[in-house]
Amino acid sequence: MYEFQRQHPVAAISSAFGLIRGNFVTILVFLFVGARSENFPFLWWIAAGFIFLLVMGFATWWRFLYRIEDGELHIKRGIFVRKNLYLTKDRIQVIDITSGVVQRLFGLVKVDIQTAGASSREAAIEAVTLEKAREISEMLRPGGNGEPEENSIEQTAGAQENIKSFKLPGKELIIAASTSGSFGIALSVLATLFSQIEPVISESELFEYAMNLLPSQTDIFAVVSIIILFVVFAWLISFFSTLLAYGDFLLEVNDEELIISRGIFEKKKITVPFNRIQAIHIAEGLIRQPLGYASLHLESAGYGDDKGTGSIVLFPLIQRNNIMDLLDNVMPDYEKQLEGVRPPAKSLRRYIFRSAFLITAITAAIWWLLDLNEWIWLFPLLSFFWGWLKYKDAALGWVKDGLLLRSRILSKTTAYIRRNRIQDITLSESWFQRIRNLCSVRVYVASGDQGKSFSVRDLDKEDGYRLLRAIKEPGLWKDENLNDRRGSAIIALPGWPQPQAAN
Amino acid sequence: MKSTSFHKLTPKAIRVWQWSNAVGNLFFLAIPVVYASVFGMSGFHFWVVLSAICLFIIFWVISIILIPYKSWKNWRYAIDEKEIELKRGIIFKTRTLIPLSRVQHVDTRQGPLLRWYNLASVTISTAATTHEIPALDAVIADRVRREISTFARLAEEDV
Repeated sequence: MYEFQRQHPVAAISSAFGLIRGNFVTILVFLFVGARSENFPFLWWIAAGFIFLLVMGFATWWRFLYRIEDGELHIKRGIFVRKNLYLTKDRIQVIDITSGVVQRLFGLVKVDIQTAGASSREAAIEAVTLEKAREISEMLRPGGNGEPEENSIEQTAGAQENIKSFKLPGKELIIAASTSGSFGIALSVLATLFSQIEPVISESELFEYAMNLLPSQTDIFAVVSIIILFVVFAWLISFFSTLLAYGDFLLEVNDEELIISRGIFEKKKITVPFNRIQAIHIAEGLIRQPLGYASLHLESAGYGDDKGTGSIVLFPLIQRNNIMDLLDNVMPDYEKQLEGVRPPAKSLRRYIFRSAFLITAITAAIWWLLDLNEWIWLFPLLSFFWGWLKYKDAALGWVKDGLLLRSRILSKTTAYIRRNRIQDITLSESWFQRIRNLCSVRVYVASGDQGKSFSVRDLDKEDGYRLLRAIKEPGLWKDENLNDRRGSAIIALPGWPQPQAAN
Repeated sequence: MKSTSFHKLTPKAIRVWQWSNAVGNLFFLAIPVVYASVFGMSGFHFWVVLSAICLFIIFWVISIILIPYKSWKNWRYAIDEKEIELKRGIIFKTRTLIPLSRVQHVDTRQGPLLRWYNLASVTISTAATTHEIPALDAVIADRVRREISTFARLAEEDV
């Protein structure tokens, strides 16, 4: 490990695949444009592209060297511009062991080492054997002292005693998949794809044929059926992608860290040391909440997923009653019930207005222009309800060492942030809020490149300033007797046995 | 409760913002110009272009006369051993609290306009966000930067 070494040669292929995946949309557009013009030497271009990618992949592999010395990972990479990356053990946030399809074919894994800096995005070892990956993560874990052999064995043995593991039962996996939030994303991806394919299809006779098959009287019928088709298709995509992503889910907790492994085809194994957790939030989706389910997430300062946020799914779906049991193991020393405040009654109308205004306007316009059925007015009614839900769920609570922010956009999010993890806290008042003596609170925590913020809107101005004072002077946190005040409440985490009793 | 003393920006900030708004907002003139070049100036389109230009002029004048002064008037910053506090905004008034232990690095920056007036801005980065104190006297900016980094080192904690 002290000598520079190369990755497994399969890295060449997998980095070529990485390039394809990174430019997937561009390639797809290119393919469709190419397929439509006949005098374009289309196949040659594809072949040339693949050869180019393979050469690039090979060069990337050849020029990538890594070694570990004194608890520091040193990576040399770059084809033309040489980069030296040094990642110190103390700064590593998350170690992520994945194996994509290419890696699995050869029994290899990919090791992602994430620090708080964005440059660690480049510090991924594409393909190594599993033993070597274990060795690397063992040498770089916060407790380890960088010595490879004897210590690591000792440590794993010590940790094994206190290991607790949580599995995701099959039934819950199915529910998670069918109510997954990636539905919207799948829909938007489909829509972009369709906008690319559409010119090709509508020219061809296939479309005409399909139109003749349908008993279409009006254009609206065709539009509606296409929309329904889309929705069903998007739902299927999200169902199966969630199933594949979260199948085989296993959460292991030991004294120092969380180990999350998941995925059927693409295996992922994420290691998060406890002291790197920036915040925990519980999301109760619109469909999941009535069923009594929620999902748990955590924020880490590493970059987490491809989108650059550091959000990691701690548990994809869990029954509300079991949340406490799980969190007790993950964050033993936190308070589940906090003193806090909810927005005053006067901000209810602001919540409802904000939700309903745009939807009502659009509905009115569509109704008037397209001369639609009266049933469309159901949407504004629903948006009123939505606004009321948002109002009802908004809350802010604090204890000696933490903050709790609860709000709803579509799903109800309860975030628990430790005091020393708050990156900054912003109070804002718009002109209208100022008239009514209200303010909004936004708290930032480190997460990925940009950080993540949680906010509660339209709180009483007093309460906002009280929060600022409390953050400034920790001694004051418990001093003020909130219970005497109007609008104060006991805010509990979801799953706390008697959440309604105190309100 | 301990009172932190808030500081204002230098009044020269107004001049800087007036210049930058005067030049920067000329960009919006492109909207009526492009409209005119696409649809021409005849009949109905003439009135659209005319009203767009009027709106632009009103907006431009306000952005030069009123907005720089107002935002200078509302800008306050305070720094002590524990946190940085920034207050700003005209329509949206915001108040931001940054614990000093969370400050990752502090820079001073000076564009050509700021250099002309011998000013500088201080940029404060945390692991999640970046904040700026715009337009301070170059000397004061440097002092503020040093102050923050000293305090931040005292309050050093890991991410």
